[in-house]
Amino acid sequence: MIESAFLMNLLVFASILGLAALGGMFSERSGVINIALEGKMLMAACVTGWIGGTSGSALIGVTAGVVAAIALSLAHYLLTQVYSIEHIVAGMAINVFAYGATNFIALTFIKPGTSNHFLPISVYLGLALLASLVSTFVFARTRAGLRLLAVGESPEKSRVTGLDPLRVRLQALIVTGVLCGLSGALIVTNSGAFSDNMTSGRGFIALAALILGGWRPVRATLACLAFAAFEAGQIQLQGTKLFGYETPAALWNAMPYVITLVALAGFVGRAKAPAGLGKA
Amino acid sequence: MKGVSLAWRLGALIVGSIVLVVAALMATQAPVGEVVQRLLLDSFSGPTSFSETLKRFCPYVIAGVAVFWALRAGLFNIGVEGQFLIGGMVGIAVSLPIGGFGGILLGALAGSVAGMLWAIPAGWIKAYRGGHEVISTIMLNQIAILLTSHLVAGPLMDKNAGFPTTASLAPTSMLGGIPFGPVTVSWAILIAMVVVGVFSWWLRRTVSGFELSVTGANPTAAQFAGIEVKRTVFQAMAWSGAVAGFGGALQAVAFEGRFFEGFSSGYGFDALGVAILAGGNPLAILPSAFAFAVLGQGATAVQLNGVPKGISSVILALLIAVFAAFRYAKVRPIHD
Repeated sequence: MIESAFLMNLLVFASILGLAALGGMFSERSGVINIALEGKMLMAACVTGWIGGTSGSALIGVTAGVVAAIALSLAHYLLTQVYSIEHIVAGMAINVFAYGATNFIALTFIKPGTSNHFLPISVYLGLALLASLVSTFVFARTRAGLRLLAVGESPEKSRVTGLDPLRVRLQALIVTGVLCGLSGALIVTNSGAFSDNMTSGRGFIALAALILGGWRPVRATLACLAFAAFEAGQIQLQGTKLFGYETPAALWNAMPYVITLVALAGFVGRAKAPAGLGKA
Repeated sequence: MKGVSLAWRLGALIVGSIVLVVAALMATQAPVGEVVQRLLLDSFSGPTSFSETLKRFCPYVIAGVAVFWALRAGLFNIGVEGQFLIGGMVGIAVSLPIGGFGGILLGALAGSVAGMLWAIPAGWIKAYRGGHEVISTIMLNQIAILLTSHLVAGPLMDKNAGFPTTASLAPTSMLGGIPFGPVTVSWAILIAMVVVGVFSWWLRRTVSGFELSVTGANPTAAQFAGIEVKRTVFQAMAWSGAVAGFGGALQAVAFEGRFFEGFSSGYGFDALGVAILAGGNPLAILPSAFAFAVLGQGATAVQLNGVPKGISSVILALLIAVFAAFRYAKVRPIHD
């Protein structure tokens, strides 16, 4: 019984992280640094819960959530590409905005006690698997994928070869919005209702998985699975003895971040960022 | 967007931001005029509001200096939030058992050292291992949040309190202030101003301050000029962390008197906005931090009108976007 609960949690957490990490991959490999995954997911979680509840339709709810995440992605595009704002600053602004806007929406529009309408979790698990397979294929085999990689590696050279980096990045960021939207929708679906700051750093864990996976789809997905295992397993892991001490849950929660730090220092593999990351 | 002039683009951003905020306020069915007035002016409506504003102003100033310091070296220290938390927690943990003025002094010192230690991995990874400081500081933030909330709900928790908090410092063991009528201006405010002044002087008048600016502006040129770029970057991150940690400890011994879950209401994150708003002038951190504090206090006050607190984050985010658009418009022209 415990095993099946663990397995279900593992799949859900891995899907949440996987969808977001793949979303981050489209953005980052096109050259847009994305520390705003968290904000986009939070926005989608909030709007999915809100519109799903008021419309009475799960499908409309998810669609609205995804559209909200796309809207933030478009804002991200505007800020970084049209206004040339430093990508980190733009990402921070989007996270802060999403944090405030979701608090605002939840208190202004979500009536307590409204019944919730969510798609079944299995739909999301299927979509996450599909997204992982399709992304791998897109980057490895399609013209659009190669163009995206070219723009991300060198916007200057790709411009010379006739590509339009701004256009490619716009498309990439829309895909990011869709994937982060689904990820956020899954978070609210899994908990049953929206609560303040409910993404609780998962957008950053997804970013960590992306980096740990060296910005490659299969490796990033594996990293998501590993991180999800820490989260799903913490119930079993906490209290286990390590060097004679009982380990607190916080330690297991912190593991993904610690591993990523060690990886960044170059001790686990060598994560190489797209060369054009953050460049105009 | 090609062919649209810069002035129009910036104008559109400002108008769009204002429309968004007004539309949000109208959705709450609160009287918009009254809410806007309260947002901007509540800080000056009475001694309590003004004291609350000063309590926000102080961490914004010091965290603003921390972000500014790293930014001058070309680093985004997103980790100020974590360093501030660690500094606050360690500051309290040290000053609680000692007490008195010695406790304040040692607490502030320990908080600064702790903040520095928390930033050093990021500085080292950036300077010597080539890992992006934004990623490492985000990771360090998350670890700091988990660590402090674990400790404050466990080993450091005041067993008599029903929620995660440390014991409180005795009033005599806290940093006092100068009374101005009903408002007591904490010494911490003065200290924060001195920090800005000294930092500004250091940045503009000393060799090491100049080296920092050159490294941030053009690392390659700095290298050729004989500046040890890696060491400068490493030290900038370490000192930025020390300042952030000092800010946390100062907040603890001057205003809060204890450390608790939610000790920082995102001061470290907002500080990025403070530094961006300040532009290139370190002294401008003071008015910039004051603007953030006034807005933060206003957002707390408009909750009386039924406007959720989140409106302040929305406005801050839009402010950051608008000011960043102006700042980077000068530096990096758009490609057409």
